[in-house]
Amino acid sequence: MDKSAVFTVVKAVTQSVLVGVEGGQITPEKSLVQLGANSIDRVEVVTGAMEQLGVKVPRVELIGAKNLQGLVDILHAHLSRAG
Amino acid sequence: MAAPREEAVVTGLGVVASIGAGVAAFTAALRAGRSGIVRLPADAAARCGVPVAAPIAGFDWKAHLARFAAAAPAAVAAAGRILRNAPESARWTAAAVLEAWVASGLGAGAVPPERIGLVVGGNNLHQAFILRGAEQFLADADYLNARYALGYLDTFQVGALSEILGLRGPGATVGGASASGNLALWQALLWLRSGAVDACVVAGAAGELSPMELRGFALIGAAYSSDAPGDPAIVSRPFDAGHAGFVYGQASAGLVLETVACARARGAVPLGGLAGAGVCLDGNHLPDPSAAGEARAMRAALADAGVRPEAVGYLNAHGTGSAIGDATECIAIREVFGPHAAALRVNSTKPLTGHCIQAAGAVEALATLVQLRDRFAHPNLNLERPIETGIGFVGGSEEPLDTAFALSNSFGFGGINSSVLLRRAEMFLA
Repeated sequence: MDKSAVFTVVKAVTQSVLVGVEGGQITPEKSLVQLGANSIDRVEVVTGAMEQLGVKVPRVELIGAKNLQGLVDILHAHLSRAG
Repeated sequence: MAAPREEAVVTGLGVVASIGAGVAAFTAALRAGRSGIVRLPADAAARCGVPVAAPIAGFDWKAHLARFAAAAPAAVAAAGRILRNAPESARWTAAAVLEAWVASGLGAGAVPPERIGLVVGGNNLHQAFILRGAEQFLADADYLNARYALGYLDTFQVGALSEILGLRGPGATVGGASASGNLALWQALLWLRSGAVDACVVAGAAGELSPMELRGFALIGAAYSSDAPGDPAIVSRPFDAGHAGFVYGQASAGLVLETVACARARGAVPLGGLAGAGVCLDGNHLPDPSAAGEARAMRAALADAGVRPEAVGYLNAHGTGSAIGDATECIAIREVFGPHAAALRVNSTKPLTGHCIQAAGAVEALATLVQLRDRFAHPNLNLERPIETGIGFVGGSEEPLDTAFALSNSFGFGGINSSVLLRRAEMFLA
């Protein structure tokens, strides 16, 4: 799965979690906080994306993600590692 | 006897139940004697150990909340955000409370939010949500619902409602099993009388039971569990010789209470009054009811308001359809009312709504208030062979009702007895 496919999953999960946020607003350079996510929303987006992708990323690794692109990169790295 | 204490004015009502969403639909269903009890699908019935229930089915919470968007746009927007991926009970409760809030007119801001309290009646509300979480956890703990830590708590509903309505006064849950709704009304009454608040939102939160709780109730013989085929609407039979256990129902109710001074100052329209309440324990951890305890609760509610038993014209019974529970309540009613028990009009709302467990007290207080206001007593469904002849049970169809005062009983497992005295609205605020 390439990074754009991972982003598609992250975007769909983000949209389902953040009521009222339009798909067009969800771009890779945006952070979840910028999109209005609270602390629980952010956990929910990450868990939902991991579950849909079938990967498990230690929470500590996610601290480095500064925006959605950062999250996509981490998820993608784990996907590739899982083969 | 202590001097009677001041009543609270009811200025808002809201409800979501199996027989109707919204007070108008609910009231029409009461009048018609419509039952929300349906047969469960065979696989669900086998797992739950009960064949029937009165579920809130086909309820679109977002569409229902949208009804209040013109009157309370910020509250509806907040609810849509907060209640996504939340326990179902919280959605039903928010819908009921928002209806009551809009009806009360408190959203206009006449009362500062710091002076408005919130009592959510009910404990162990989110059992179905918790069981779903447990299943997710056991399947793969890494994918546990991110909202589990919020949603498993009953107090999620306190936080959610306070954010939706912008409340800043005191708030808490009050739990007492099937007496929870009445305990919440009593708590609000105490806060209003103490001066802690000028107004108080009472939420009778639906108990969202999982198959595990239903099975548990069936196991101890409290819930109706016969697998005999037939019309599901006839199995809940309070005070009938054929009674064979309660049928679970889902409902949430909302009531807005305020002090007489507060309601008068802002020109609110009273829908009724909470005149008094009585709550007492039996000293017993079992489900066994006690006629002495039930009578003490009813007498305490009357004494709280300084009202004689003869002034009460209607009683909404706990009446679950349990053989021991019904018989015990009959003894208690006879003890409190003496010969007046025959003139008293008595019905049970549970064959219509099912037994709404934690919310039962709030739902039935609301049912009592609309019957007082609209001057009717709803039918007693399935009461064909009364176990007691000295009590004025309502018949199989709606009857006219003209009385100022009504008692509503709720008794919880663990010997938690409660009764609230409700009053028909008078135009004293005009």
